[in-house]
Amino acid sequence: MAANPTTAEAVTKTANRVQPLGRRTKLTTRLVGLGAISSLVATVWLGLWVTPPDLVMHNLVRLVYVHPPIAWISLYLAFGIAALSSALWLWPRTRSRFFDRLAVSSMEVGTVFTALTLVTGSIWGRPTWGVWWAWDARLTSTALLLVLQLGYLALRRVPGDPDSRARRCSVTALVAAVDVPIVHFSVQWWRTLHQNATVLNANLSPTIHGAMAWTLLLGFVAFTLLFAWMLLVRYRVQVLSESLEGDELEGALRERWGETGDVGNAAGLVGSAGAGEGALVGVSVTGESQ
Amino acid sequence: MSYVDAGYAVALGSLAAYAALLWFRRWRLEQIASAAPLDSTLRSEESNT
Repeated sequence: MAANPTTAEAVTKTANRVQPLGRRTKLTTRLVGLGAISSLVATVWLGLWVTPPDLVMHNLVRLVYVHPPIAWISLYLAFGIAALSSALWLWPRTRSRFFDRLAVSSMEVGTVFTALTLVTGSIWGRPTWGVWWAWDARLTSTALLLVLQLGYLALRRVPGDPDSRARRCSVTALVAAVDVPIVHFSVQWWRTLHQNATVLNANLSPTIHGAMAWTLLLGFVAFTLLFAWMLLVRYRVQVLSESLEGDELEGALRERWGETGDVGNAAGLVGSAGAGEGALVGVSVTGESQ
Repeated sequence: MSYVDAGYAVALGSLAAYAALLWFRRWRLEQIASAAPLDSTLRSEESNT
């Protein structure tokens, strides 16, 4: 092995660094962002000023255009993507750094949505039930979900090589996913303060006014677009931070091996440590094949 | 402020703050990545020569 890396190696590594976002990816991210903002504005306008108040809950019903869409993102979409990506990473035939990055990105964004599910639910619960919080099955299982998501993110920060970190986080995500059906069916399995499903009920017959139903649907679209934009940006952050981590590791290893005069070993190790690919946002990262 | 206003303000305000934070994190990392020297390997090459 050569005592020092050659210029050819250096040029190859330079060419493999994180590439700037392509025009297509930038355009997609911007379009999704614009769609999210415009649909959110329309949801707020319809929800606060256009739709009628409810016969029983009066104006409090307007929180329905915010709370269920946020809960849908947190419980089903974000957690579903994180769990599915984790399973695909664990399965050897589909193992790819892409799925690991997608899982952590979705989990982080989903954690924000879960926290907001609890907060907006609490704000709705205070005037409806008379309490900010109750140890109700739906509320408690959702709070447990938030704790599990925070645990996943904490585990993510524990130092280790990328593969073992991805493995332990993937297993954690799959274990945590057991809580999702518990949250979903909690209102049927136990007697709870939380109401049953209004739109996606057992008869699939929405029990709300048409204008309310359409505004609620728009709310779901708006928050889904916002989640998609956040996921795209968070994924890019993950790619960039892993790349920079790799550079720092490379520098440290070169220093260490430089002291002992075996710089070539450092280059070999770094090649395996700073691996990744950016299929989601069209980026390429330091030397890896899928 | 009504509970409805509070709910909308908390939800949309928090999401806007998180979106801004994400955008800033990406922007900062893009800046670091573009401002960084080509490669530490090239740097060590230069210092060796």
